[in-house]
Amino acid sequence: MRSPFHSEQEAFRFLLLLTLALIPVVLAAALGPTWLALVVLAVVLGVLALRVARLRMRKVRGLALPVKMAPPHMGSAAERRVLVVANDTLGDEALLSEVERLASVPDTHLLLLVPALISPGARLTGAIDGLLDQARARLKTALDRAGGHGLVVAGEISEADPLEAIEDTFATFAPDEVIVSTRSERAASGLEPRLAGLVRERFAVPVRHLVLEPDSAAQEPDEDTEARYRQEFGEVAARKFGLKTLVGAGILAAVLLSMVALVQSSERDEARAASQAAEQAAALPPVAKLVVLKVIPEGKLGPEGEKHDAFTTTEFAVRAGQPQQLRIDNTDTVPHSITSPGAGVNIVVMPGTHTYTLLVRHAGVFLWFCAFRCDEWAMQHPGYMSGYITAS
Amino acid sequence: MRVSAGRTRAVDIDPQPWRWGHPRVLIEHPDEAAGLAIASGLRFAGYAVAVCPGPRGHGQCPLTGPAGCAPAHDADLVVCSLGYEREAAREVLRELRTRYPDTPLMVEAPSDIDADLRELLDGCHQLPASATPEQIVAAVQSLSGHAAEEDHAGA
Repeated sequence: MRSPFHSEQEAFRFLLLLTLALIPVVLAAALGPTWLALVVLAVVLGVLALRVARLRMRKVRGLALPVKMAPPHMGSAAERRVLVVANDTLGDEALLSEVERLASVPDTHLLLLVPALISPGARLTGAIDGLLDQARARLKTALDRAGGHGLVVAGEISEADPLEAIEDTFATFAPDEVIVSTRSERAASGLEPRLAGLVRERFAVPVRHLVLEPDSAAQEPDEDTEARYRQEFGEVAARKFGLKTLVGAGILAAVLLSMVALVQSSERDEARAASQAAEQAAALPPVAKLVVLKVIPEGKLGPEGEKHDAFTTTEFAVRAGQPQQLRIDNTDTVPHSITSPGAGVNIVVMPGTHTYTLLVRHAGVFLWFCAFRCDEWAMQHPGYMSGYITAS
Repeated sequence: MRVSAGRTRAVDIDPQPWRWGHPRVLIEHPDEAAGLAIASGLRFAGYAVAVCPGPRGHGQCPLTGPAGCAPAHDADLVVCSLGYEREAAREVLRELRTRYPDTPLMVEAPSDIDADLRELLDGCHQLPASATPEQIVAAVQSLSGHAAEEDHAGA
């Protein structure tokens, strides 16, 4: 994968900028509502995008950079390495003849670079095979022609932007001369005529521009024509880039606005749900945090006039899912229980005073009873050794 | 850094950093063809090269600004052939000497220089004003070899 950075220093600068840019976003997220963090993120992204767009625009316009560079020569001092960059002109007789002429010079290494000119749209949709096949076919024609004359010529197809492809080739092939072949007007599958000027302003090697038209000799444009190419095609490229930037900014803004709206809507829903829950809770009957009761053997008179074992409290009101404390003084000498299979409750009440936790997970009214064999009549009658748990 | 390019529009000029390894030679030459001829000789001698035309009179040279110039900063040797009639060219020389005192500086200058310039060139490796690219390459090779030996001895 291509690194977007030219140097470690550049990468470090980017990392520093990114870290600084994230600080306000993190602060907004920590101290304010989510929508504010999104707005700050949008502003930060906007500023970064603007910076990137300005740098890109400078490249697109091809403004005169003051410094040209080149790597050391590769190979022996006698060797001459020539890079020929072409696409739609590669099949032209004039260029093929020039390639043959150059390749026949002793100690000359020739590399044909064919940028496939894959647009971002084609890359996004994956429709690149046709363009690559076209570039392969053109390169094959040129290589076959040179090979037929016993000449050794290397070829390469690049999916990258032409200028980036040339820059990559400088790292691997280190040409001593570059020849850029274009039409005078840009065709759909052709290189821009201003490419030669862009190469000339970046690399410290001689650059020749061969302008070819079908069935005519190659022309080498003068300085004024090159300046005109740069002006005309630079403006076109800048306009296209500006339009793309606007569309991109519009899409980004729409996505961020949608996110802010979504977050605000979600926050409103949450607030509404919390409010409803609070209202429902307020409407429910109050529950005691701690219920104090006793178990008294033969402590309550039955309707038939006999005394029966009984809990002093047999109706429990609880909140579903919330534990309630029961302090029970079992004055009997044997254990009893509060058992309700429906509520999932089974509290064994030992003799003496102890604290127990009553927890019912679901709302409902559940019958409970003492599961220890004691007063059989009382075990079957709510209000004695039986009763109800109401969970709300 | 903001530098005016052309008559009406100001643009950012931030010279790209070096993309190739050492040894690196920065050539400051106002004439493009002459600069490229020196660059070609140096490339064949095994040097990565950068060619800068120096201040062109339509803006501030990045070297004299606060951000500095990446190619000058990371060069192993600088060949300066700007001609020193203009103050802007002298300013570049002054900045190179001040900012990068450890980078060997080879200056192409005539023998009949004024006192100010002589003082400015004190300690630089001086080349005759009419030096050919071959002479410059030989001088760079000699100087960089000398510098390498000094480094070795220092280590």
